[in-house]
Amino acid sequence: MGQRKKIVVACGSGVATSKSVAERVKELCKQRKIDVETLAVDFRSVKSHLKDADLFISIAPYDPTDYGVPVVSGIPFMTGIGMDKAMDEIEKILKNAK
Amino acid sequence: MLKTIIQYILDLGPSVFLPILMIIIGLIVRMKPSKAISAALTLGVAFAGMSVILNFMFDQISPAAQAFVKATGLKLNALDLGWTPVAAIAWSWPYAFLMFPIQIIINLIMLAFKWTDCLNIDMWNVWNKVLTAVLVQGVTGSVTLGLVVGAIEVVLELKNADLLHNQIYELTKIPGISLPHALGLTAVILAPLNRLLDFIPGINRINLNSEALKEKLGIFGENHILGFIIGVLIAIFARYDLKHTLILGVSSAAALTLFPMAATLFITALLPISDAAAEFMKKRFPGRQFYIGLDWPFLAGQPSLWVTTILLVPVILLMAIILPGNIVLPFGGILNICLAATAVVVTGGNLLRMLILGIITTPLYMYVATYFAPMITNLAKQVKTIEIPAGQLITWNGMEAPEFRYVFSVAAKMFKGDILPGLPLLIGYALLYWWYFKYMLKKEKEAAERISATSQSL
Repeated sequence: MGQRKKIVVACGSGVATSKSVAERVKELCKQRKIDVETLAVDFRSVKSHLKDADLFISIAPYDPTDYGVPVVSGIPFMTGIGMDKAMDEIEKILKNAK
Repeated sequence: MLKTIIQYILDLGPSVFLPILMIIIGLIVRMKPSKAISAALTLGVAFAGMSVILNFMFDQISPAAQAFVKATGLKLNALDLGWTPVAAIAWSWPYAFLMFPIQIIINLIMLAFKWTDCLNIDMWNVWNKVLTAVLVQGVTGSVTLGLVVGAIEVVLELKNADLLHNQIYELTKIPGISLPHALGLTAVILAPLNRLLDFIPGINRINLNSEALKEKLGIFGENHILGFIIGVLIAIFARYDLKHTLILGVSSAAALTLFPMAATLFITALLPISDAAAEFMKKRFPGRQFYIGLDWPFLAGQPSLWVTTILLVPVILLMAIILPGNIVLPFGGILNICLAATAVVVTGGNLLRMLILGIITTPLYMYVATYFAPMITNLAKQVKTIEIPAGQLITWNGMEAPEFRYVFSVAAKMFKGDILPGLPLLIGYALLYWWYFKYMLKKEKEAAERISATSQSL
């Protein structure tokens, strides 16, 4: 039993890609009994949303910027390839987060 | 009798008839009835929500836009809404959902015959083809021609994904993906222009630091800040007093902030159907090697993309004023992402080249937005998405693939007896495409060689 974790997903306008990835991750977290809230935002304003976030799922994982929170690639949740592995990673990060 | 029923349903408006259609489609693709109903209602809420914001925006901004025209004498009476409201209007086209099977079937056939290696699972951007069909129908009056040009766009998008695949890997280092998005079609224009820049001496020696600029300029790219600035600028030109200038600034900021929020409701509603469609496609080709076609935001981590869109804002505003014949008042589409996302791929993220390409092509985007303004306005009026004040036009400056949409809309008029200017435009496009195709094949091969050289040296 932990408290609810916050996951931020960013894409170009905070509308299409980020929202679909956010919904998918939320559903998969529910299946794994991880209590999360997800937030879809646009890249231009992502930093202001990350202050109290536990995890940032990036659609552009090659981006070298330091966001101050753990970053996981969102590509598996778009292509559907390697989703289980990505979820294992997310679960591990969220379990360690206070 | 059937016609009366259909007319009755259409008259209910998109916030009612699309949810009805959605429940039917949901049940066909075997969604649980409760989920189908929830998704359908969300779609209705999305339309209603978008209408609320648009009506608020017209109340606030239309009088200012009219005062702007009166005070300056500039006839900028087509308000640029940006992509989110235009997507809502496109989805409310009664034939919109037909584009799903059209895209899926063409993609499966092309994969089966090895005409493409791209499996496009980006079902959201089916709306790009819907918009194309809407515009072609607006120009020609024919739904069939609209759907045919939409189908041609599907083919060109998949071919384009093949032509960009390795170059995208080099830029993003994400394996197994490509870009079949309509915005990429504009590379047909940008690649030859970028090639011409090679002949300017010294251009490759100028290296602008995108990352540092992004840190400095970033705040101007945020929706509320940008909306406020544009609103205040319109108010100043309209000779508003301080009080009304500030009110318009905040209203504009509100419109630009709320549009994406309403647009996410469309995603929530359409997600189950697009997931089902993507699953359907993936199951068809278990053995075949292919890469996955995605929506463009995997490019959004390129700092040069954002710096370009922000630095082009004053260029777009200035061009709106000085371009003869332009009627676009830039607003919702002020960040020209469709241009920047393609330019980042074509130039490999070179900021100076992206800016030059952006300045050269801004008139193209603006004139195409001018040309299509009556068609977009008419559709919005027909489907009763919004109440548009008399004399006000709406459009989208910075739409994806403006060259394709313009050329093929005009070319489609050949079937209605108008050979000119459609035929020469189409021939010109074909010649340009032929050069582009050969040039990109060469670039792809070079990129593939570089990729395999690096992977061997590791």
